[in-house]
Amino acid sequence: MSKIYTLITFILLISGKLFAQSADSLLQSITDTSEFKMINPAFKSTRIVLSHSTETQKAHDLDMRIRHHFGDIGGEFGSAHTLYGLDVASDLFIGFDYGITDRLTVSIGRSKHDELYNGFLKYKLFEQRGGKHHDFPLNITFLAQMGWITRAPFATNEFTVYANRFTYFLQPLISRKISQRLSLQVAPSVLLRKNTVESRDPENLFSIGFAGRLKLTKRLSFIADYTLVNGLNRPNDLSQKLYNPLGVGLEIETGGHVFSLNFMNSEFISENSFIADTKKSWKHGGVRFGFTISRNFTLFKSKDKNIQSKIY
Amino acid sequence: MAIVLVIFLLIRCLSANAQNYVSGNVKTSFFSSTPIEDIRAASNKTSAVLIAESGAFAFQVPVKSFEFEKKLMQEHFNENYLESDQYPTASFKGSIEPNINWTKNGEYNVMAKGIFTIHGVGKTRTIPAKISIKDGSVNITSAFDVACADHDIRIPTLVFTKIAKVISVKVNGTLIQKP
Repeated sequence: MSKIYTLITFILLISGKLFAQSADSLLQSITDTSEFKMINPAFKSTRIVLSHSTETQKAHDLDMRIRHHFGDIGGEFGSAHTLYGLDVASDLFIGFDYGITDRLTVSIGRSKHDELYNGFLKYKLFEQRGGKHHDFPLNITFLAQMGWITRAPFATNEFTVYANRFTYFLQPLISRKISQRLSLQVAPSVLLRKNTVESRDPENLFSIGFAGRLKLTKRLSFIADYTLVNGLNRPNDLSQKLYNPLGVGLEIETGGHVFSLNFMNSEFISENSFIADTKKSWKHGGVRFGFTISRNFTLFKSKDKNIQSKIY
Repeated sequence: MAIVLVIFLLIRCLSANAQNYVSGNVKTSFFSSTPIEDIRAASNKTSAVLIAESGAFAFQVPVKSFEFEKKLMQEHFNENYLESDQYPTASFKGSIEPNINWTKNGEYNVMAKGIFTIHGVGKTRTIPAKISIKDGSVNITSAFDVACADHDIRIPTLVFTKIAKVISVKVNGTLIQKP
């Protein structure tokens, strides 16, 4: 009989335990946070300095982007005569990026250099901590950009076939937010073109981009990107000396705007131009100042009254 | 005989245990108002529990479940203000005072006393709540204010005019008995 009493006491104790099951543990047992494990974005903007980042536009957001590359700071074309390059616009760019969904962005843009029109599609394939088990380690985005050179030919043998005016740029972008401060990106790419420097300059030009962001404060970051292109499938000793593009900058976010103040050796803005044709070097004063202004517009109002915002 | 007793007791504890009320889709919304801009956001992913015996009450909401009209604003809310990678949830843990008879239909004005935590900073609060009980389900409605400074949520001077120093929060949901 005493055994039974022990058992009863035990059960009572257990039931007391269950009874006193804390609100906290019960709360944890019914909370499913798995769908909110996705980490905050690796980059603030869809571009780093020269290159794209793995970020895409938010659904129905339109981004207007104005970019400017000034002239050489030093050397033959720089110094005080051009106010260290500020008199010169080596390239200007205006572009509009629109998010069809949170993953798919379409864009059109126009650059001064080559009177280049460009359009791209950018699709976010994977997100860090996304996937079935919320443990995917990387952000992976794919970029396909087409360029259309509309300037007059420099020589009679240029653009003999109209299709030679078109260039195609394909790039998978792979990034990881290493910590709250540091994000890194690597992006191999291929540029398909017809207009080359010389016969040894390949039409299908391979390159690999490295980029990073180091957050200095919540809204200010140091950004940098470098594209290795010369010496891969393109020989290093072409008649025209070409350099690998390197850009560094400070990125400032103020709500709907992102500003970046950059220094780079690349004269040109679009990937279809700067990857193949950077003729300036960080040495010999070929570095220049440039800036990007990006402004986001939310085009559609939400129908949900609980989340409607209003600007007076 | 003993086995019958044991089973009887087991059933008793289980039924006693049934006096927990839970919900996984309580609605939480907040509103920031300044002369420049009104901002609203809402989440219906708040989970809440109530233990009838003790009056213990808790709720928790994943910060990333709040939806904004502007997704970019949502991103800034997560990244710059609430730092949701480090502090993924906002919660309240405490008890309903005075404890009431949760099986009796009716409306009650009560106080929820406990610790409200957001952005990793907890603060002891006494929050008024309205409870209406109807046939075993418990509806809880509450409105309270949260001062950003109390929870170490810094608003930079540049956007000072767009984001209120004190945010109004509303919680509303129906908890049902958990079998």
